[in-house]
Amino acid sequence: MSIDAERLKLPLARPNVLDLAPLYEVLRRDAPIAPVTTPAGDPAWLVTRYEEVRLLLGDKRFGRSHPEPEKASRISTAAVQDGPTGEYATEEADHTRMRRLLTPAFSAKRMRMLGENMEELVDSCLDALIAEHEQTGVVDLHRGLAFPLPVAMICRLLGVPEEDNELFASLSERMAGTEIGEEAHKAREEFFGYMVGLVESKRGALGEDVISDLVRAQAEDPSFDYVEMVRLCVGLLFAGHETTVNRIGLGVLFLLTDRSRWDALVADPDGRVDAVVEEVMRLGAPGDLGLLRYAREDVDIAGVTIKAGDALVLSINAANRDASVYSAAEEFDPDRPERTHLGFGHGAHFCIGASLARTELRVVFAALAKRLPSMRLAKELDQLQVRATLTGGVAELPVTWRSA
Amino acid sequence: MNIVVDQGKCVGAGQCVLAADDVFDQRDDDGLVDLLDASPPAERLADVRHAAAVCPASAIAVSE
Repeated sequence: MSIDAERLKLPLARPNVLDLAPLYEVLRRDAPIAPVTTPAGDPAWLVTRYEEVRLLLGDKRFGRSHPEPEKASRISTAAVQDGPTGEYATEEADHTRMRRLLTPAFSAKRMRMLGENMEELVDSCLDALIAEHEQTGVVDLHRGLAFPLPVAMICRLLGVPEEDNELFASLSERMAGTEIGEEAHKAREEFFGYMVGLVESKRGALGEDVISDLVRAQAEDPSFDYVEMVRLCVGLLFAGHETTVNRIGLGVLFLLTDRSRWDALVADPDGRVDAVVEEVMRLGAPGDLGLLRYAREDVDIAGVTIKAGDALVLSINAANRDASVYSAAEEFDPDRPERTHLGFGHGAHFCIGASLARTELRVVFAALAKRLPSMRLAKELDQLQVRATLTGGVAELPVTWRSA
Repeated sequence: MNIVVDQGKCVGAGQCVLAADDVFDQRDDDGLVDLLDASPPAERLADVRHAAAVCPASAIAVSE
């Protein structure tokens, strides 16, 4: 298989929602930083090996802004991770301020305190699903659990009215859409408009929630741009919809497509759930691109020269399956000795919602194993509808526990 | 065992707290690392090393 005869075009077609294109293995070995053409048709570097992905995520010579944004390579055809974001001159300071503002609200301790709340929510979702199953024999875990739990949690944290749920769910879906052209960008504008309305309606009666915190901070700090603040609120609400939801779906599929994985968790849910969640974070591969960076200066690395302004797509999916780091890297094995992964990123932009996501995933998988031990998929993996979005995942998760 | 944390590097990810909450915490006001125990007993070494390994900012140094 030759990989340098012509530029690879992203995304690389994958065999199914759980596996990656076999070409990634060749890339890691022969061209760990390879020139590619992005889905938007522009040149970029695709980085596939764990070592370089981790290094570049932690390296300040690479950022998310671009000195001449209009000349920067565009990446996805969705309205997220599609091009540079932020001000080139002030990127680091802006980001540091944002982290300082948000970190306390998403701290590990605060998330652990939410755990009990989550358990109640998951139990009520499962009660409803069990009642429905008595009537129908098959229920959709996506609609009944994977979607409502993360959405309810992010709404409570941000102070967003849960009754607007259908509106921003559809906005998030369209924003991440890869096959709807300009509609994705239109959705981003609509989402922005919705958030301006929400911010202004909250301004008179600020509460104990993240959006209220941001409104207060922006009012007090003249260097904190209003548009940036609103974008940040949109980003947080979007992320609450498009990440953990998919991860729950992928985790259920990993566990139920090989009965021994599920049975091992059922045998000891509390003892095994943490390791299962980490393995779902390592192997679960939503979408087929990666994290976007732009070089701030020329950099020589892994045999190539990256020029200032060049775009890089850091493939978290490929790095997390790097056989030079993980033994039997493609295998789902919660007992593996390697305990780290890049599923939440690395460096200054490390996922701010990591503790929230981990807590949610632990509660969900422990509860599923305890309450629905005989659960199985009601459809074959290949028949499940996959979402045409940047963040991937499945649109449905039909399961049954009726005796066959 | 001796642990040193660098608050200047810390990005407040809270990974260390999940790995060893008897040794690390996050400060309430800014979410940055708060070292509860700079020289925990030797049997905590595996979890402390794990905390250092998963720190996204490489802000934790451990010496035996």
